[in-house]
Amino acid sequence: MSKEYIGPVGEGLYAVRTGDWRTRRPLMDQKTCRRCGICLMYCPVNAISRGADEAYSIGLEYCKGCGVCAAECPAKAIAMEKEGAK
Amino acid sequence: MTALDTLATREDQISPGISACVGCNVELTLRTVLKVLGPNTILAIPPGCMGGVGVVGWDKMSGAKVPVFFPLLDNSASMLAGIRLGLKARGREANVVAFAGDGATVDAGFQALSGAAERGDKIIYICYDNEGYMNTGYQRSSSTSKGSWTSTTPVSKEGSGGKPQHRKDFPLIMAMHDLPYVATASPAYIPDLVKKVERAMEVKEGLAYIHIYNPCLTGWGIKSDDSIAISRLSVQSRFFPLWEAHGRRLQFTVRVPKPVPVADYVRRIGKFRHLDEARIAELQAITDERYSFLEAMDRMGGGANAPGA
Repeated sequence: MSKEYIGPVGEGLYAVRTGDWRTRRPLMDQKTCRRCGICLMYCPVNAISRGADEAYSIGLEYCKGCGVCAAECPAKAIAMEKEGAK
Repeated sequence: MTALDTLATREDQISPGISACVGCNVELTLRTVLKVLGPNTILAIPPGCMGGVGVVGWDKMSGAKVPVFFPLLDNSASMLAGIRLGLKARGREANVVAFAGDGATVDAGFQALSGAAERGDKIIYICYDNEGYMNTGYQRSSSTSKGSWTSTTPVSKEGSGGKPQHRKDFPLIMAMHDLPYVATASPAYIPDLVKKVERAMEVKEGLAYIHIYNPCLTGWGIKSDDSIAISRLSVQSRFFPLWEAHGRRLQFTVRVPKPVPVADYVRRIGKFRHLDEARIAELQAITDERYSFLEAMDRMGGGANAPGA
């Protein structure tokens, strides 16, 4: 099958390792989490994913540590901890 | 499918790492909009924050998984009109979408956009309005609110100054082009935004326009984790009401029966820090006047009979 280009196409995807920017790290408490998905909907970098068991997890590779998930979580299940504290 | 299911299951069409500021709600908006639009999309991102943070790519690398064009500040709509005609000639169908800031929409891009709207070019035009030219150091635009500090409307030590004029009501100007679909949206109301992008995709003929109000953390002086809370206050204070219109039939999509005072919104934003009671009262009066105009349109559109009206 020949590929038809419909616009400018890059040779690859450019990704900045934005996880390196983080000064605070989100920690999710699975016991307090109500599985509402608000953190996933409001995470600006799309770092939060939903697993097959309906549980949510935060990927730290691109998480910039903005704290929106912790601020928006209605169950207060996400805490922001200083990066490198431990 | 609920908005959450859509966002949890669809692929992100933007590079996972773009250099938007920490907590930027325009990045959130872009990712959300593109997840709904899906892979069969051709994107135009003119100069502005989202161009600058790398969505249009660097060197030979792309910042998006869909084809992305980098038009000039003023010609996104005209360029997409041509792309649409090219696709039509080749018998292809795709979402042809602009994602442009307020400078490239309400200022420099207005003539091209108004022309495309009047011709009825089949484009989805999305404006992320952060009230100014943020990626060049926050110069004022015609979408900047009255009283706002910007780098071109400075404030004196005594607190006088700031922008003398209030923002133009751009989404209403677009609605007055008698478009098949016009809507306002906010990053604090993601399910509402998802629904509006889906409605824009359903349009068969003509231009669909969505105006999204994005408080800018760096330019406005907002802490990163307040990004969504302050966006929500902009709606809950009726400062930026959420509505949609098919032609001139306008209806609110988020009703605010008990608004919070505009002062509660303004007081949390650094660029309004110098405003005294009188100047905030002025903003409250403008907000009330604009809202009652929309209320009248909402009643004409049948919205007064809707639940919660």
